[in-house]
Amino acid sequence: MSWRERGEIALMSAPALILFLGFVIFPVITAAYYGFFKWKGYGPPIDFVWFENYRIILTDPAFLDTLRHNAFILVFSLVMQGPLAILVALLLNKKMRGRSIVRVLIFVPYVISEVIVGIGWSLMLQSGGALDETLRNMGLDWLIRDWLADPSIAIWTLMIIITWKYLGFAVIIMLAGLQGIPEELAEAAAVDGASYWQTQWRITLPLLGPTIRIWAFLSIIGSLQLFDLVYIIWGQYISSTAGTSTMATYMALTGRLSGNYGYGNAVAVVIFFISLTVALIYQRFVLRRDTEGALTGGN
Amino acid sequence: MKRAIRSVKALSVAVVACLGVAACSPATSDPAQTGSPGAPQATEMTFWHNATTGDGKAFWDNLVSEFEASHPGVTIRAQAVQNEDFDGKLQTALNSPDAPDVFMQRGGLKMHDMVDAGLLRDVSGAVTDTQREELGQGAIEAMTYQDKVWAMPDTILPGGIWYSQDLFDKAGITEAPKTMDDLFAAIDKLKAAGITPIALGAKDAWPAAHWYYWLALRECSPETLDATIEARKFEDQCWTKAGESLEKLVAAKPFQDGLLTTPAQQGAGSSAGLLANHKAAMELMGAWNAGVIKDLTPNKEPLADLSWFPFPEIPGSKGAPGAVMGGMGGYSCSADAPEQLCFEFLQTIVKADSQIAYYKAFSVPPLNSKAKEAVTEPFNIAIMDGLANASFVSDWLDTRLGQNVGNALNTAVVDLLAGKGDAQHLIDSVNAAAAKE
Repeated sequence: MSWRERGEIALMSAPALILFLGFVIFPVITAAYYGFFKWKGYGPPIDFVWFENYRIILTDPAFLDTLRHNAFILVFSLVMQGPLAILVALLLNKKMRGRSIVRVLIFVPYVISEVIVGIGWSLMLQSGGALDETLRNMGLDWLIRDWLADPSIAIWTLMIIITWKYLGFAVIIMLAGLQGIPEELAEAAAVDGASYWQTQWRITLPLLGPTIRIWAFLSIIGSLQLFDLVYIIWGQYISSTAGTSTMATYMALTGRLSGNYGYGNAVAVVIFFISLTVALIYQRFVLRRDTEGALTGGN
Repeated sequence: MKRAIRSVKALSVAVVACLGVAACSPATSDPAQTGSPGAPQATEMTFWHNATTGDGKAFWDNLVSEFEASHPGVTIRAQAVQNEDFDGKLQTALNSPDAPDVFMQRGGLKMHDMVDAGLLRDVSGAVTDTQREELGQGAIEAMTYQDKVWAMPDTILPGGIWYSQDLFDKAGITEAPKTMDDLFAAIDKLKAAGITPIALGAKDAWPAAHWYYWLALRECSPETLDATIEARKFEDQCWTKAGESLEKLVAAKPFQDGLLTTPAQQGAGSSAGLLANHKAAMELMGAWNAGVIKDLTPNKEPLADLSWFPFPEIPGSKGAPGAVMGGMGGYSCSADAPEQLCFEFLQTIVKADSQIAYYKAFSVPPLNSKAKEAVTEPFNIAIMDGLANASFVSDWLDTRLGQNVGNALNTAVVDLLAGKGDAQHLIDSVNAAAAKE
């Protein structure tokens, strides 16, 4: 490689590299630094406490609750959205009237801002809100619950809102994956006498594998970092009571809102490592097949 | 209450102040106020308040321009910072060289943190005999830490129970409850009349926690209260007793449906909105509530039958009879603020005529005793009388405990209301939170 080429590479990659170092790596390092202090945010941090913040985080029942909630959201996002998205994508992949309209409609919730989604759903679901009134008018009074605040229901309410919100994204990705599967394969299977469902199960689904795995990866990361919907619907304080608190809302409550900036930074570091570990494990064991061959050597 | 106090603060103060140059002349002979010898006379100050809109903003603009008119060559750069952003921005600014010279101070543990980090100027020199006399020793003491005054207090807004006289009449309640037993009797009567007895904005946590604070104020002696807050260990039995009283109240089911998702002040569905629209009979809230309710009535007019009574007593308990709890607020100078100019500005904020205008605009009781004669509403007079006769006045417990423990306490009370914890859980949560700082 000539100096000229090296210079070009340096010039082209420098802006991205500087942004990445400045806005990703540097904050991570400073968070790790502040995480070692008890610090109320006024003046420089001086009370160095080693791993005391981490010890408290990992033994705090409220944090362990958020881990359970995040795990629940992670698993049920995959279970609820995955199959549904594949079915909808299969349907929308067929030629039919109004297909593009339906595609747009399914994608709309994903485009709406989380704030609007959160406020809209919380207004509909509050006690005496639109849902309760609808049920009452249908004579289904016995179904009425405190959808948002009853700890045995609230997390399911959250799952339904999440599914509504993010299903469109999964469908679009699945559709894109389906476009990449050659039609000839389905035609060949039909010639061999395979039914529609046999074709989907034995040909489409396996070939859709890489797409599903990438979608699942994005969904997992999103589930681990879920913050906005919970924060908007349940506010700053009651998500742990309702059983919908996540690691990120815990960080906001115990860090910024409580004025424990050192502690909040330590929570951020814990979330970072949990997300990183999950991502690396997923890359190593699930995505590896898909990325093999995708990278080329420097020459 | 923090939020609420902030919004009132927003409105607070000032105003028509300084209508004449003479009225504004700073003049004081206190030596502490003359500034560092040899320092050049400062001509510019930055000032942060949280009144971003409407009357509040206009009042501050007015106060600032009058102050400038009485101080030729002086420029005050006032900035209205959105209330919810205020603390975050202030914290960043205080850590930088661009700290505002004068800013709104919420007091409590947070103020102690600022003092410990050396970010505030000692304003003891601005508090002369005039201020001590007019504002009251208790208010000054609330802003005192390590024997120095760190903020000029401009408001104390105590809590109490707001109620609709019409709904009380409808339920056949002839007299405002004086004891907790009276309150329980009133709850029964209201329920029998098909009226929701109490509105509660538990989504914001602090309005729920206020019920616990008040019960603790009634159950615990002032000494125990102060000692517990100092040590931040809830060991005395009175704290558990207050929790049990709260459990008893919850068991009577006095609150509206869906209380956990009800906010305190935003919209007709909020707890203040329920009272404003006669959907509930009572609300436990601070002295700013009349103004909040006014904005939430159908015609945006003051609620005609709005009345007020002090938090009920618990006969035979250890609490000081008539003890009052409320939010205190004031204004601080940052460490590098020009001393003399800043002191004069603080004094202007709490002058009698500033405080009268403050009261007239927002119908909350003024702190300055000379401004109190202007007050006409029966509930505001009742609030001021309660404050004047109180043998013990405490700031909100979550302010005194600091955000960290305060938040934990607030959320634990919400848990109790939701049936997710008992009185003991409340105490455990607070003790656990104390470990985080």
